[in-house]
Amino acid sequence: MAKATHSGAALADGLVLDIHDLSIQFGGLKAVEALSFHVKEQEIFGLIGPNGAGKTTAFNCITQFYHPDRGQVVFRARDGRVLDLVGLPVHDIIRLGLVRTFQNVEVIKELTLIDNVLIGAHTDFKATILEQALRLPRARREEREMRAKAVRALEFMGIAHLKDAPAGGQPYGVLKKVEMARTLMAQPKLIILDEPAAGLNDSETAELAETIRRMRDEYRCTILLVEHDMRLVMNICDRICAISFGQFLACGTPGEIQGNKLVQEAYLGEEEPE
Amino acid sequence: MDKITVQGQTPPSNSNPAARAFRNPYIRYILFGVVIALLPLLAKSGVMPSSFLVNLGGVLIYSIVALGLNLLLGYSGLISLGTAGFMGLGAYISGYLSGTVGLPFLLTVLIAIAAAAVIGVLVGFVSLRVAGIYLAIATLCVSEILRKTFEELDQFTGGFSGLTAGYPTLFGFKLSREATFVLLTAALVLVMMLTHNLVNGQMGRALHAMRGSEVAAQAMGVYLLKYRLIVFAIASAYAALGGALYMHFIKFSYPAVWILTLSLNILAVVVIGGLRSIYGTVIGALIVFAVPDLLLKRIPVIGGIDGIAYIFTGVLIILVVMFYPSGVVGIGHDIKRLISRGRKGGAGNG
Ligand SMILES: Nc1ncnc2c1ncn2[C@@H]1O[C@H](COP(=O)(O)OP(=O)(O)OP(=O)(O)O)[C@@H](O)[C@H]1O
Ligand SMILES: [Mg+2]
Repeated sequence: MAKATHSGAALADGLVLDIHDLSIQFGGLKAVEALSFHVKEQEIFGLIGPNGAGKTTAFNCITQFYHPDRGQVVFRARDGRVLDLVGLPVHDIIRLGLVRTFQNVEVIKELTLIDNVLIGAHTDFKATILEQALRLPRARREEREMRAKAVRALEFMGIAHLKDAPAGGQPYGVLKKVEMARTLMAQPKLIILDEPAAGLNDSETAELAETIRRMRDEYRCTILLVEHDMRLVMNICDRICAISFGQFLACGTPGEIQGNKLVQEAYLGEEEPE
Repeated sequence: MDKITVQGQTPPSNSNPAARAFRNPYIRYILFGVVIALLPLLAKSGVMPSSFLVNLGGVLIYSIVALGLNLLLGYSGLISLGTAGFMGLGAYISGYLSGTVGLPFLLTVLIAIAAAAVIGVLVGFVSLRVAGIYLAIATLCVSEILRKTFEELDQFTGGFSGLTAGYPTLFGFKLSREATFVLLTAALVLVMMLTHNLVNGQMGRALHAMRGSEVAAQAMGVYLLKYRLIVFAIASAYAALGGALYMHFIKFSYPAVWILTLSLNILAVVVIGGLRSIYGTVIGALIVFAVPDLLLKRIPVIGGIDGIAYIFTGVLIILVVMFYPSGVVGIGHDIKRLISRGRKGGAGNG
């Protein structure tokens, strides 16, 4: 259900996202239950939990792929407005500066890498469809500017040399980079990464850690990520929130989370790289 | 003039101006059109039987219509079996308004396009609720309703006996058959260029995203409903344009023309020619709408088989789907790749 007021929500200084009492059920299954946490500006924040804990579901509730049964998702948009995202149409989220990647990479196989990246700028195009059809000056200029921007995003990810190759047939690691480059096109304020290291080898994961830090520093954005690779999480995250069976366990620095009894119990029996 | 870079095309490395011009897609479309527009001369000089012109004019018309279906099916992944109905709508509106009412030809075409686009938008709304085979059935129903309407509104459409029209009058000049053929060519080239611009820009990427991954499209801010409505409107508009041109080139229209068979043939054009290929669509139209009449029917024995055109199209669809899922344009690409590989291999070994 849409809330009566999206604006008028309050957010403490220095926060970019405040999730409060977020809950969603599927049938009888409480996938996320009364989850609350907040993310500070320009931090790298990790959301961890065993398989099926509800991490992706929480992301889907934040980005409005799912509309939560209860709770608020208060966000500071790229234009400075503070608003509750709950109930907004899913396609309106990105223009606020909130953009995501997917656990199972979602790229368009038939498009080249650069065209895939350009989709990330979709909402920043001003030219109407008629202007595009006739290639009027504004449409041409926008296309040129966005292409240059997309090349920079691809360069940032180190795959600019592949820009005109079709995405279909590229290795998984490249596709993950394409997805991340695509987020950089959206003037991101908060980037949500769902298991960015899944399927990557050790050296690629090390490179990823560096890339995520550079994304935060150079694009001056906040990163919220789900990740099973504990070494990566402990290495790059400023703070971490742990959940299990949809419920909040603990939130704190990597050191605090590692020492937390509840978290250790939740992961007991999980095979886990140390 | 700024340089036009098209996706997948590397900027020209040699500085030969002719070669560079040839790489400009717009110049290529125009050259393509000029070559086709010269065909009436071939007919006039007797090199080509002049009856071919009617067939080839049909190919041009069906190419326009099929480009619309390619936007739907190829780019957006949306099926439609309603093409014939929209084409008929364009034919009757343009034919009635230019004939009985006496409006200028171009105005009747615009009205036909607008009317079809509005109905197309309504179909677009349906497409958000149903997908795949159900969308195919829904669009087929719309087409059948239109055809039934053509039969019933006989004071406008002439009912079963049909409606006739003459060659178009443009700016006071009554066009000949040859001039009308050139007009068809101009319309096709224009539609090819518009389509090229649309599919290579922001909207084209949104359509690709809609087909390739709805979740990615939505996360990137693509409003699915908006683009479904737009693409159905454009496809319907192309169909109506084709219909209006048909009315003034073939010069008659009756309800039995605008049936499922025609929609299926347009679908065959897109599948055989090549999903997401502009030139492929024209090649597909040539294969589906000209080859049976111009070639097969002239071959002894085979040409005498009843429904040879359907058999031919059916077999081709199966072959293409099995071996060239990207359409017959894929064959050209493969040959090109083979040649360049041969060259590279030779250079490396030599
Ligand atoms: N659309 C849905 N319909 C029904 N159940 C769902 C849906 N989405 C998620 N679930 C269920 O919610 C629970 C949480 O799933 P979710 O994908 O959020 O877990 P996760 O923490 O991301 O797990 P993983 O680490 O394996 O990705 C699971 O039991 C899942 O089956
Ligand atoms: Mg998950």
